[in-house]
Amino acid sequence: MPNETPDGAALDAARWAALIEAVALRQDRDAFAELFAQFAPRIKTFMLRSGASAQSADELAQEALLAVWSKATLFDPTTAGAAAWIFTIARNLRIDELRRQKRTPTHDTAEVDLEFQVDTGPQPDAGLAAAQVESRVRSALAGLPEEQVRVIELSFFEEKAHAEIAQALRIPLGTVKSRLRLAMNRLRGLLGDFS
Amino acid sequence: MTIRHHLPDELLTSFAAGTLDLGQHVAVATHLVGCSHCRSMVRAMEQVGGAVLERLPPSEMSAGAFAAVEVRLGERPAAVPGPAVQGLSEQGFRDIAGLPPFVRQYGDSSWKWIAPKVHFRPIVLPRPSETRVFLLRSKPGTRMVEHTHTGFEMTCVLSGSFAHDGGHFGPGDFDFGDGSDDHEVVIDSADDCICLVAMQGDLKLQGMIGRLLQPLIRM
Repeated sequence: MPNETPDGAALDAARWAALIEAVALRQDRDAFAELFAQFAPRIKTFMLRSGASAQSADELAQEALLAVWSKATLFDPTTAGAAAWIFTIARNLRIDELRRQKRTPTHDTAEVDLEFQVDTGPQPDAGLAAAQVESRVRSALAGLPEEQVRVIELSFFEEKAHAEIAQALRIPLGTVKSRLRLAMNRLRGLLGDFS
Repeated sequence: MTIRHHLPDELLTSFAAGTLDLGQHVAVATHLVGCSHCRSMVRAMEQVGGAVLERLPPSEMSAGAFAAVEVRLGERPAAVPGPAVQGLSEQGFRDIAGLPPFVRQYGDSSWKWIAPKVHFRPIVLPRPSETRVFLLRSKPGTRMVEHTHTGFEMTCVLSGSFAHDGGHFGPGDFDFGDGSDDHEVVIDSADDCICLVAMQGDLKLQGMIGRLLQPLIRM
């Protein structure tokens, strides 16, 4: 179980990053087993909530962990936290799955991966290092009211348009937007200047 | 380049969540190419995605799932470090600066005249998308007839500038219309203004340009 306190969560984050590095450097299968135990069941939930069948969610979670194994050398702790990196793998698999007309035995998210490579601009990303962003995001989330966190979660994991989120939470659409705005403003404040 | 008009919260979130259709994704990515602030926010939202993933309750994996993965570990060669984007053979839109690299792989086309001083150039997406994407090139001084449309419209300025009652938009700026706006747009740069436009829904332009546009941009 992830540790619920901000300090404990930070320890978990450092541990997961270390496990990914162990996979990258030594193809460490014990480290991989630990990552599998932690993330595969949660990625399965993520896929289920995105509308996948139980079987498909299970397979996608397996694919995601296989990608963690084969892409571990690409993990750069200076640009992403471990959980965020694994999240992007799961996200891109989900997009690939939704596009797929016929099932083929292996997934290839190379095309989706490319579509998220946008940071080729002349200026480096503004602001903080990944580890700082990660810890600030954690404390920001921990400090947000549950209702705002819920809107963010629904935005991420259930493919719902804001109108549907409003319906699911039985609140007006304007309230969904204002909760999201409050949460984002809070994040911006914690992440530094954003004009 | 000073960017004044950024991505709205819901688009930042949806981009990071991966829930935009390809046309919308292209428009948002185009803004991100030039906007380090919004890139940072997308990164932060991906961190949020990671944190939310950690908070999800686990679903029990099928019996033998780990074993099934373990036997496949040897099959997969380790990924080669370095951004995959370097392997891209960039082809299309050579004359257009500021596009995300992946868009250059998409089908290019020539500029087509659609109205006095206005040309457009479709970006052919590799798969169906509810949202169409095209480049729009307008001469200095062009006044677009006041228009409205039934869906949203995203505009990212690539060069030149325009103004409407919502503000002044220069290179990198992102203009998001949700279908309720009724703007009169004026191209106020000394050179041509080139924008990438992603549009959902039907165009309902009023006036002459509208009558010209409608049959040409197949909505």
